Amino acid sequence: MTELQQDVGSRKFKELVFFDGSKTSSYFLLPFRFHRVTPEKEIIVNEVGDFLIIPNGTFQRIVEKKIEKENEPDLFGDLIANFFISEEPIPPLIDVLATRFRTKKIFLNYFTGLHIFVISLRCEHTCHYCQVSRVTENKQKYDMPIEYIDKGIEIMFRSPNPHVTMEFQGGEALLAFENIKYAVEKAEQIANKIGKKITFVICTNLALVTEQILEYCKEHLILISTSLDGPKHVHDSNRNKPHASSYELAVAGIQLSRKILGHDQVSALMTTTKLSLDYPEEIVDEYFNFGFEGIFIRNISPYGFALRTEKSKYKTDHFLRFYKKALNRVLEYNYKGHNFTEDLARIFLTKILTPFNVGYVDMQSPAGLINGVIVFNYDGCVYATDESRMLAEQNDFTFKLGTLNNTYKELLFGEKAQQISLIWSNEALSGCSECAFQQYCGADPVHNHATQGDMYGYRPTSDFCQKNMEIIRHLIELMESDVRIKKIFESWAKPRT
Amino acid sequence: MDFKNHVKDNEIVIFADTVLFSKDAVFKCIYWYGDKFHTNVSFADSNTYKITISPLSTYIFDNEEMELYQQKLERDLIDFNLRDIVTKETLNIRDLLIAKAFSNGEFDEEPVGDVSDPVGFNVKEINND
Repeated sequence: MTELQQDVGSRKFKELVFFDGSKTSSYFLLPFRFHRVTPEKEIIVNEVGDFLIIPNGTFQRIVEKKIEKENEPDLFGDLIANFFISEEPIPPLIDVLATRFRTKKIFLNYFTGLHIFVISLRCEHTCHYCQVSRVTENKQKYDMPIEYIDKGIEIMFRSPNPHVTMEFQGGEALLAFENIKYAVEKAEQIANKIGKKITFVICTNLALVTEQILEYCKEHLILISTSLDGPKHVHDSNRNKPHASSYELAVAGIQLSRKILGHDQVSALMTTTKLSLDYPEEIVDEYFNFGFEGIFIRNISPYGFALRTEKSKYKTDHFLRFYKKALNRVLEYNYKGHNFTEDLARIFLTKILTPFNVGYVDMQSPAGLINGVIVFNYDGCVYATDESRMLAEQNDFTFKLGTLNNTYKELLFGEKAQQISLIWSNEALSGCSECAFQQYCGADPVHNHATQGDMYGYRPTSDFCQKNMEIIRHLIELMESDVRIKKIFESWAKPRT
Repeated sequence: MDFKNHVKDNEIVIFADTVLFSKDAVFKCIYWYGDKFHTNVSFADSNTYKITISPLSTYIFDNEEMELYQQKLERDLIDFNLRDIVTKETLNIRDLLIAKAFSNGEFDEEPVGDVSDPVGFNVKEINND
């Protein structure tokens, strides 16, 4: 080895033998995990998410140290280059691997970014699957008072994150637009003063939107996030608005918002109900025809009214069938040359195909709660996630971190946060610790609690696990089966410019 | 004593040599059967695990299905044993990797090595003026 180093300055390019530090086939294993993708293929994934698809039985041969450099130089080289094995006990490039691991977990550097203000619980819709509650009157009781807005803003700016997002949710947030204006202007002042970046988002069904509201949003660079569940009959069935078509109001609102704010300042999310399951292609078509860059196929959250109504319930395998059909429709648009994405796939593919992670709070480890998001409820309570406050609407306060009268330290580093932190990393959860897709997935203690009764969760019956495992496996199988799909997926994984 | 894996009386019984299979691998494997089966691990003798699974009352499997589950369990045991070998063999390197990833310099390579020189020039002689 010393001889090789001395030789470095003497010539530009080295013979292959120069890089061949060992003549034997002995090697050391590095941390990696494996999963069977199809009856013929298996996947191995290393600690930073790099993967190799290999013929069935190869994992066993790797572990038994039966891969010989002389006989299988390509496989041996791939295993070395991708940090699955090393010819030395500690690989020479371990610092590179450590840096890549750090990159995958870089979101921990910034801490809480998304701050959700439930500005009002009032709503004029009566959606059957609404995860929260719906109240139409009593403004004083169900709107967030100025005092709490002030305290929420104060806590938000205690976050070490240099770029915070202030998201207004409801109920219907626009019912309390005067309070939103107050909050935006106050937050802008402080952000300018202390030099932090801030993004504002209003989540709204757009039924109440007006030109005046949108002009204000334009002036203050406020983004609009709305709901579009699919074609009219699906959307209106899901989202009931007395004496009006929610779909028509949403469509008119999207068009007006795009006209005033700009096309890319408005995003839409869909929720999959039992009715939606029959219309995967039509729902995708709706998003494409509306000029969105993609669609996020989301299953219904198992909280609030959603759990109580038969109209919303469905099994995970039904959702998976729906998802695969919808994804196929998205791919068909791509075959025709359109750049149109499915965003759940895009999140997974970014984790699978790039050195980076995605700031999506539902799919992180450590979990996105507290680390990525915190919720200030209209009544002054502080919750770990949006789903946590939905549970609170059912009198389950498991994820209540405290109130806006608590200090920043008490809320984000208090007893409750410490308790949750024990089980928020999938690296340390039964079932997840040996899972090949660990680096692509995440931990969701709130979902575990809501669906299984404890934060730790039980993977064999977890719909979170079943859904993510199958979607990741399906994406990998698609990439392996068709080079066209692989190229499309690679383009999705690239950052949008 | 010769133990043979079998399906009998609505139970699947698998035997595993304690020298060949780790306890961790056995438990990590049968963890995944808890959604459909009652699970039990005991010793058939001092060198042999006896792994028994029987369907929960909410599941009814015919003989053919039970044999398929037997085959799956046998295969999964081997898979989990292999995974366990990787986990244990790479425990220290994984700890080192994560310590380096989250350190603030204290676990960085020391001494710092020479800068890579893939095209032959000597980086130390480069004039930065």
